[in-house]
Amino acid sequence: MNLAGRLARLPREARDTLFLLAVVACCIAPLAAHIPPWASAMAATLLAWRGWLAGSGRPLPARWVMAVLLVLAVLLTLVSHRTIVGRDAGVTLIVMLLALKTLELRARRDAMVVFFLGFFTLLANFFFSQSLPTAAAMLVALLGLLTALVNAHMPVGRPPLALAMRTAGRMALLGAPIMVLLFVLFPRMAPLWGMPADKPGARSGLSGQMRIGSMASLVLDDSVALRVRFDTPGGEPPPPGLLYFRGPVLTAFDGRDWFALSQPEAQAIAWARPSPAQLRVQGPPLRYELTLEPHQRPWLLTLDAAKAAPALPPGQWAQMSPELQWNASRPVTGVLRYRAESHLRFTHGPLRRTPEMRIYVQLPAGLNPRTLALARQMQADRQLAGGGAQALVDAALQRLRSGGYHYTLDPGVYEGEHTADEFWFDRKEGFCEHIASAFVVLMRAMDVPARIVTGYQGGELNAIDGYWTVRQSDAHAWTEVWMEGRGWVRVDPTGAVSPGRIGQLQRLQAPRGVFGTAVGAVVSPMLLQDLRAVWEAVNNGWNQWVLNYTQGRQLDLLRALGLQSPGWQDLVRLMGLLVCAAAVIGLGWALWERRRQDPWQRLLQQARQRLARAGLPLPPHLPPRSMAAQARARLGPSAEDAAQWLLRLEQARYAPRPAAALPRLRRELARLRWPAAQSRGTDTP
Amino acid sequence: MRSTFDQAAPPTAGTQPPAPWAGAKERWRRWWSARLPRTDTLELTQRNVYILPTAAGWMLALTLFVLLVASINFQLNLGYLLTFLLAGSAMVGVHLCHATLRGLTLRLLSPEPQFLGAAAPLQVQLNSGARTTRYGIGVAVRAGAREWAWTDVPAQGSATVQVAFRPERRGLHGVPTLMLETRYPLGTFRVWALWRPAAQVLVYPRPETPAPQLPPGEPLAGAGQAPAHGMGEYDGARAYRRGDPLRLVLWKKAARSMATGTHGLVSRDTQEARRHALWLDWNATGLAAPEARLSRLTAWVLQADRLGVAYGLRLPGRQIAPDSGAAHRCRCLEALALC
Repeated sequence: MNLAGRLARLPREARDTLFLLAVVACCIAPLAAHIPPWASAMAATLLAWRGWLAGSGRPLPARWVMAVLLVLAVLLTLVSHRTIVGRDAGVTLIVMLLALKTLELRARRDAMVVFFLGFFTLLANFFFSQSLPTAAAMLVALLGLLTALVNAHMPVGRPPLALAMRTAGRMALLGAPIMVLLFVLFPRMAPLWGMPADKPGARSGLSGQMRIGSMASLVLDDSVALRVRFDTPGGEPPPPGLLYFRGPVLTAFDGRDWFALSQPEAQAIAWARPSPAQLRVQGPPLRYELTLEPHQRPWLLTLDAAKAAPALPPGQWAQMSPELQWNASRPVTGVLRYRAESHLRFTHGPLRRTPEMRIYVQLPAGLNPRTLALARQMQADRQLAGGGAQALVDAALQRLRSGGYHYTLDPGVYEGEHTADEFWFDRKEGFCEHIASAFVVLMRAMDVPARIVTGYQGGELNAIDGYWTVRQSDAHAWTEVWMEGRGWVRVDPTGAVSPGRIGQLQRLQAPRGVFGTAVGAVVSPMLLQDLRAVWEAVNNGWNQWVLNYTQGRQLDLLRALGLQSPGWQDLVRLMGLLVCAAAVIGLGWALWERRRQDPWQRLLQQARQRLARAGLPLPPHLPPRSMAAQARARLGPSAEDAAQWLLRLEQARYAPRPAAALPRLRRELARLRWPAAQSRGTDTP
Repeated sequence: MRSTFDQAAPPTAGTQPPAPWAGAKERWRRWWSARLPRTDTLELTQRNVYILPTAAGWMLALTLFVLLVASINFQLNLGYLLTFLLAGSAMVGVHLCHATLRGLTLRLLSPEPQFLGAAAPLQVQLNSGARTTRYGIGVAVRAGAREWAWTDVPAQGSATVQVAFRPERRGLHGVPTLMLETRYPLGTFRVWALWRPAAQVLVYPRPETPAPQLPPGEPLAGAGQAPAHGMGEYDGARAYRRGDPLRLVLWKKAARSMATGTHGLVSRDTQEARRHALWLDWNATGLAAPEARLSRLTAWVLQADRLGVAYGLRLPGRQIAPDSGAAHRCRCLEALALC
């Protein structure tokens, strides 16, 4: 006996229960990766148990069993999350409640509780992913829940599930315009209370500190970090060599790790200055809109250098650090879009050496002795003596260019504690972070203030939607060197080692995995690239229009509708207006439906009116045949045409397809010559 | 309605002036009755179909509110989408729910007369001109414990449901108010309609069980002979004679006499019937209470009809000449019901 046959023969109740269980499983399954393993296992066991009970027609467990299971679930949640309130614990609890409630399907009320818990579970999925595939999966699950709900309200017989499915689909389809309208017009507001609590560092991206070797994993990551649309004519990006997206600035070094300035240190610097970063800009700003993928940290990436704060959605604000880095008031936990303007020509930092520069020349004691020796040797060089910091930088870059140094993604592990020595003298190869780190160590050893800036460099144009796309593989580390009279100056030592890495947007191809190699052997790389471009364009559209539909976009829409200075009150007003319009349309439709008549009856009614005008009022219950007879008898041969037409009308009523003849009859009625009104002659005195 | 109201009033209500809302309640009832004229076919339109959310509907509203707050607090645009799609579907559901009853034509098939004590079945025909099937329509008698009869009405077709009510007295009975309800498709709204059919059900008196034997026949005027059965038992039967038509055989009596082993078949004695007339008389029931008398007469009518003999009925102010057959039986029972 095959499975389909057995399912078809199940009694209705068992079939409905199994369908509901399948839908519940669909709602819970994507959450399995985000709830504790015991919760996934328990939910799966409970659902399987319930399915077995339904399939074999056994009674449901007693209430005390349910109570024990519930207490167990709550206790385990408490142990796993150390709380039962809060987002993650709440998701675990909802999943457990939903699975437990399926074991208690006794009355209609219980079924409704399962549906409503199911809706919460759908929402819980969005805490973890709002991607297009997740949305599609949840749409399917929602349709499943609606189908089960509709099916539960078809009490007669054993209707096929496809019927309920069609009704559910129809409801969702007709409900979609309402959804779009509410989505577009419902005023977006800041969180009413609380803040999204999320585990930091769960996703890849810049990490805010740099251990030599950690960037390699980023380089291999092809996921999108941010997308930019430039406000230049045709969306043309600035020259590739200027495409530095500034992220965290790393100042403190312990020999292995680079850290950002601590909060008090940054505060101390900021207080000693007239403005945080002392940014001086030249030329017109470049305006752009940047869409940042969530990275769970507060920093905002801007094209070097942004003078004005990026325009964040309401409820958030941006603040500039003394190191020219923009930070949001709270971590970026969802896709975030903001407008910003940057000046590609700028200088920043103090022009004269200040006491704060001390921290930019600090090095861990006792490390990198050979680099220190190299520094002393360069400082003693007569040729460089008068050139100041610029001459020292040039000399170091020259050394990188001509000293046999190589850019590689696979430099191996730097095992020793003297990482700069290892780069300068032993391995002579590495990628941006090795190069930048060794360069800064050398500069500091020569008493030149220097620091590391991490961020993204380069990117590529997505030809499908015209967005400039920057990936995690574009992550980069460069340096800034302070020079007397100029302030902080960007120096990218990686460019000296591998000119192709900077500017021309060439990448070292990351080694492909087994799967990538296999796919690449069958499908041309161009096709794969095109497919990826299309997918990313779709995904970007989703981000732009759905995930990032903010109050700003809403107000833009109102402005496009012609409002001068719209606010959220206008959104509410517009919504009210549309509701009123819908009500008026509904009322009109109701009135129209009340008057609606059978088309055949309407034709008969018209004929009756014409006959009445001709002096032959007839009662409304008379069939066409009798009307024809009356017309012939009372109006004579002049009514013969009308009588013939009436007989044809009667024939049409009993034809196999009555509607088919009606248009012809209608045309004939319009052409028909009716007898002249007889009463006119007699009534006139 | 009235009686429950009276019960709810305090025990001293009889001595006090009627509660101020009693008049309002009466007015409300009159207005309501005027809105619901008695009719045997009823077309359900927007005027007579009502809709209100159910408990599940309020629960859904609460769910939507919580989903919305969660979407706002966690800034989930997909949460907004989910909430609004659910809300949109629920709104469409309201329309579908209302459309399930709207446009339906109800027709009551003329109800058969019933005996008191038995449930009187009512056949309700639901006609639909819609292009889609209407699912999950329940019909019930409004008063008392509502026992719903559920049905689907096919597209451009009709369905018949049967509901029953238990009449409490004999005579002509108005059909009680019927109620139609549906919660399809989401169960969040309840759509209902009330219908007061104009048809009336004739309720015969309850036949007495066990009923005593039929009274003796009375000699016909002009027969000349003295009553044949001094013992006063009308029998109307004799032994089967060869050549008697089968329809004259009294099968029950035959079975009884065969069981005692005395005779063979028993035939109806048409001779006897010709000489005697069986009168079922209001004054000859041997009972005093009028309803008990009617009960006994009803039982006798049924018994005589089963035997196939001619019988007449004498009631105060009315007399039905002896006859037999289904029409005669109906006439007699009707007279007993309306007496």
